Amino acid sequence: MKLRYRTFLAAAVLSSVLVGCNDDDNSMYMYDDMMDDDMMTVDFSGTFVQQDHLGRPGINTTLSYDMDGQPSIKDAHNTTIPSEMTAMFQAGFQARLEQYHDVYALKLGLDPADVNYENNILGLDAATLTTVLAADVLEVAPDLPTTYFDPGTDFDNDGRILVPDGDEVALTGRRLNDDIIDVSLILFFGGMEGDRFSGQDLDDDGMADLPRLTSDGVSLTTDISTMFPYLGAPE
Amino acid sequence: MKQSLKFVFGLSGLAVVLATLIAADHIDAPSSAGTSADIADFYAFEPTEGSNNTVFVVDLQSNVLPDLAYGTFDEDVLTEINIDLDGDLVEDQVIQAIARDGKMYFFGPTAPTQTGLSSMVYTDFLLGDVQISGSTAIVETTDEGVSLFAGPRQDPFFFDFFQFNAVISPELGSAPGGFLPVGEAADTFDGANTMSIVVEIPNSMLGVPTATNALGLSVYKTWVTTNRKQ
Repeated sequence: MKLRYRTFLAAAVLSSVLVGCNDDDNSMYMYDDMMDDDMMTVDFSGTFVQQDHLGRPGINTTLSYDMDGQPSIKDAHNTTIPSEMTAMFQAGFQARLEQYHDVYALKLGLDPADVNYENNILGLDAATLTTVLAADVLEVAPDLPTTYFDPGTDFDNDGRILVPDGDEVALTGRRLNDDIIDVSLILFFGGMEGDRFSGQDLDDDGMADLPRLTSDGVSLTTDISTMFPYLGAPE
Repeated sequence: MKQSLKFVFGLSGLAVVLATLIAADHIDAPSSAGTSADIADFYAFEPTEGSNNTVFVVDLQSNVLPDLAYGTFDEDVLTEINIDLDGDLVEDQVIQAIARDGKMYFFGPTAPTQTGLSSMVYTDFLLGDVQISGSTAIVETTDEGVSLFAGPRQDPFFFDFFQFNAVISPELGSAPGGFLPVGEAADTFDGANTMSIVVEIPNSMLGVPTATNALGLSVYKTWVTTNRKQ
């Protein structure tokens, strides 16, 4: 079913192949179907108001929180334009990030005052990280390979996962198989080496002494393709 | 600082909050969760190394849980891919997609006459259309080299999100060890489908970005929105 379309302006020029367009606000669109000659008019009129927003995956869901009886912050995030997001959400994101650390301090029997966010593998402190994340957009580089982040690569062999020194390629988009949850967890809980809370057995008794917070333990389970549209057929 | 934060937020309040289901953007907020306008996910990538195209994948809806809207593109929902070129976080180009009578129509990329929370369909800038697929993908490629797809697909998102909810629960006995090791962890989205809209477009149609990311690399700053007809 191959369709050919014309803009409203072109419709006047190409009137011999187009019929039925009589609306003057361009909200009615006409086309001719070259296969079955099924001429018809399509109505695209109206005003559309924003319902949902997404840039970086998992940010609103993990760093926004709703309190019982209070207006929903998650809803507000979905109907705020990106240029206003940092002012509206950064402080709450930072508080939430610290709160996650408090939860694990208590689970470990430690004083929450002693278990805090530590600067992550990008060297970002909590305020800077949450400032970056509060503006919820996905950055994609037109001229570079795409990687959301590759937390397993020590690009410059300095023993650190990534110390930006100008020659790394990262934060250039999101592929279908990028493990964005693990990346987020590493940025939230991994500290400077990316493995701060990764289930370490500190006393060699065969039992983990620190929680496993830097990976959720799963990877891609679906079929993806190198051919458009790249996603696997529905199950 | 931690003590004061706990005082402000209160652990009892947390329990209510954290009962909310969480995923990439699937079911992310009360008003949009489970509706036909619920954005499940968003991807943007270079299809092959050295390609001059960019691929945008927008996943709407999900059948990962029962009782969610899934399976039909709502004709009252306009999906917009927003592209900021200069880094001011205001869209400079938009690509629109909206379903009509079994087809997905695409418009743009074009500079919006109005930015922000309210939109109209830019019918002067038809990009192309494609028949909405069933289980077999139907793909359209325009004369400009733009590839278009709309239809149900496997949801490629992966996350052990039930364990995540246990991890962030303030209950002291809830997942004290954190996430589960590989082999014990389970991808909650394994077997789930989503309603996908896929556009592959030459970068030359989007413009040259002056925005940069945290590493100083030139990037488009992109986001997707759904917008309901009033």
